[in-house]
Amino acid sequence: MNQQNPTRQQRVRIRLAVGFVLAAVALLVWLLLPGDLPDPPWLLVVFALVGIYFDWTAVEINDHLVISTSLLVQITAAVVFAESQPVVAVAVIAAVSPFQPADFRLRRWFEPSVNFGQIVISATAAAALFAFIAPAAAVTPENLPRFVAAAVAASALQGALNFTLVQFIFRSVFGARQVRPWSNMLNIMLPYLGTGVLAALLGAAYHLRGLVTLPLIFVVFFVSQMTFVSYARLREAQDSTLRGFVKALEAKDLYTRGHTERVAYFSELIGTEMGFNGTRLEKLRWAALIHDVGKLAVPRDLIRKRARLSGDEWEQMEMHVHLVEELLAEVDFLQPMVDIAAHHHAHYDGNGYRGGHEHEGPPSLEARILAVADSFDAMTSTRSYRVALSQEYAFTELRENAGTQFDPDVVEALIEIIDARGERYGSPDVDSEEEARRRAEGIRLDG
Amino acid sequence: MAERKVNGISLTVFIACLAFGAVMASVSARDIKVVLLGAAIIALAHLVTVPAPSGEHLYLAIGAATAVPFLVREHAGMLAILSLGMAMAWGVFAVKKPVAGLSGSQFLAEVTSLMAFAMTVVVLSELTIRSDFDIDAGTLPIVAAGGIVWFAVRALIRSLVGLESEGLSARFLWLLALEDWAAIVSLFTSGALFGLAFEKMRWWAIPLALLPYAFSHLAFVRYNNTRITYGQTIRALAQIPEVAGLATPGHSERTAKVAVAIARDIGMHPDEVTELEYAALMHDIGRITLNEPAILRAGYTDEDLARWGAQIIGEAPFLEKVGLLVREQHRPYRNIGEERDESVPLASKIIKVASAYDQARNDQLLSAVDSLELLHLGSTYDYDPDITASLRRIVAASGDLHPSSQV
Repeated sequence: MNQQNPTRQQRVRIRLAVGFVLAAVALLVWLLLPGDLPDPPWLLVVFALVGIYFDWTAVEINDHLVISTSLLVQITAAVVFAESQPVVAVAVIAAVSPFQPADFRLRRWFEPSVNFGQIVISATAAAALFAFIAPAAAVTPENLPRFVAAAVAASALQGALNFTLVQFIFRSVFGARQVRPWSNMLNIMLPYLGTGVLAALLGAAYHLRGLVTLPLIFVVFFVSQMTFVSYARLREAQDSTLRGFVKALEAKDLYTRGHTERVAYFSELIGTEMGFNGTRLEKLRWAALIHDVGKLAVPRDLIRKRARLSGDEWEQMEMHVHLVEELLAEVDFLQPMVDIAAHHHAHYDGNGYRGGHEHEGPPSLEARILAVADSFDAMTSTRSYRVALSQEYAFTELRENAGTQFDPDVVEALIEIIDARGERYGSPDVDSEEEARRRAEGIRLDG
Repeated sequence: MAERKVNGISLTVFIACLAFGAVMASVSARDIKVVLLGAAIIALAHLVTVPAPSGEHLYLAIGAATAVPFLVREHAGMLAILSLGMAMAWGVFAVKKPVAGLSGSQFLAEVTSLMAFAMTVVVLSELTIRSDFDIDAGTLPIVAAGGIVWFAVRALIRSLVGLESEGLSARFLWLLALEDWAAIVSLFTSGALFGLAFEKMRWWAIPLALLPYAFSHLAFVRYNNTRITYGQTIRALAQIPEVAGLATPGHSERTAKVAVAIARDIGMHPDEVTELEYAALMHDIGRITLNEPAILRAGYTDEDLARWGAQIIGEAPFLEKVGLLVREQHRPYRNIGEERDESVPLASKIIKVASAYDQARNDQLLSAVDSLELLHLGSTYDYDPDITASLRRIVAASGDLHPSSQV
């Protein structure tokens, strides 16, 4: 996306990265300087390697009910080294994996740096809490409940710190925009609690049964990571398949090229700004991805037609769009998204039409978001009969129709987030439909 | 008739389990109550199934069985628990009609593989001169070896059993059964952790065994659901040319069905079968290009359609191979003066045959015999005779080949 004031953001990024890295390095030096290593040291090396392996093969996914294997490795290490130096052990394991070869190859520095700082700080704090609740005592069946409590508390603290620091970084970089409501904390915490219990029990099994349990513990790590990765890959495959198809089919028409991708992007921005997250945000993005798929089945000359469509032509278009919608609605999980997409032409005040027919009732919030995103992109991109209009014109137009065609809250959310991110769309100085049409006379494009 | 034979096998296995279990229980030094309790747990664990990546279901029982050698530490006791457990499981299934049809020969597969597991454990621990199990580093590799034997025997028997009942190739079923290794490793690990930890940790061992499995179970379930919806998504997208009136309705769906049947008959790898299915579903997606009137007027060839389709599919990074299969679908399997063109992918040749067969059947309304004849006539260049032969087998097995059969 085109960003207008990179200098401010760039400065903030550099400051954040340097601050986080320095803080984490200071913490590590302070921990390691006394020279008391966790016992046995070779096991720390094994855990560090295991941590690197799982961190480097991890995939991110917008699904809160899944545990992070790295966290499981770290908390288990705290329990395994409970009798010697749990804090040092966890800090070392957390510190070794954030910088990955891919980052160097792609010259990414900001994400790994803040990630390194953020993870070292939150993991060390969590391990310190663990050591405080269960101070260097032998793990026995009798004090097992105490270890479980300590590991759960540590896991929860790490989750909360992680959440807070990531929020802080987002705020600093993008302004006070991408704030996720704290009410979601509980939802996010649940897997952390499970991770804490499991880590405590795995660690206890090691203490009570010895080295023979280590392979089993690593198999548990491996299987939980592997099943999760295969699930995430498949989801990614599904997502990219739909995305790729829409893109490829759109590409046939010069004027709609990229439209869907942009509408999905704007919808996601507005959704985030309005406090959507997790599956709801994902649903919105998918609805945006399929909102125009129906048009793919419509003959191109009908779509490109400049004159008003005749009744027959409308009907033909409607029929094709409707058939595709029915097709997609057969896919179980697409059903709600097809509903959203089908309603995005409905007006906020309940009037409006869809293919010349009266519409039934006011649209859902998701459909209202999609309507604004769709109109914004339609105005700020080039069409067959006019060049792109300016961003200011689009904002004014959206505001003027707020309350009737568009939801005023959604319109303001879009304008705020676009301004805050400093992004610009449309041609800079085309401030009226007439101007846009006049300019298009010179450049005749043909699909 | 066949059912009676299957019931006979089932009953014989039940009696054998019961008798063997009774003998072992009498030899065992273990309290009979402990043996019966263990057997009951094994039987009850057969009531819980979990989804596995292959689309099949697994019984939790193998997890419970893994814990037994650690807990019982005596050969006779272990064998008694496992065989009495299977006998009780038979009773459980007889009362509650099994979900996955675990009667007859499938039950035989479960019993045989579990007994193979037990015998491996017994033999290996005898070989390492340990008359009694002692929980130490040595037990784990022995149980792990038993687990591998269990896995292989189960996959082998299931592939042979499936061959007899469903007409799928043994290789396909064998590979399919192997796909579940992650779920099985997860169950084994849970069982072994429980067995190792129970003595010291007591009831804490239960969450220790259940939590790891619960986490991966969540992922398995989601994986399964996503796999289903992914297939549905592709199916829906593949039909866009049809609803646009640019391709014959239902053709891609039917072609995919025939293509998958051929692939299974030939014995392709399950992953390849999935790729082939997607490619067959989307083999006409290039026709969406025809909604551009200018292109329709200019004319096009089969090769153009294949290329356009491959271009569209190629935009999805995960479907690269599928796009390749679609691109090659128009090519003849051999050229003039050649034996065979080895560069044409097998899956593309299958799509060509399956698509032509469906066209003959449903566009030209030919009978099955006449459609196959048409393919035979085209076997000089277009249709690979090996694939046509496989299709003939499938059609014959479905009883559709009778000369008088009409559409």
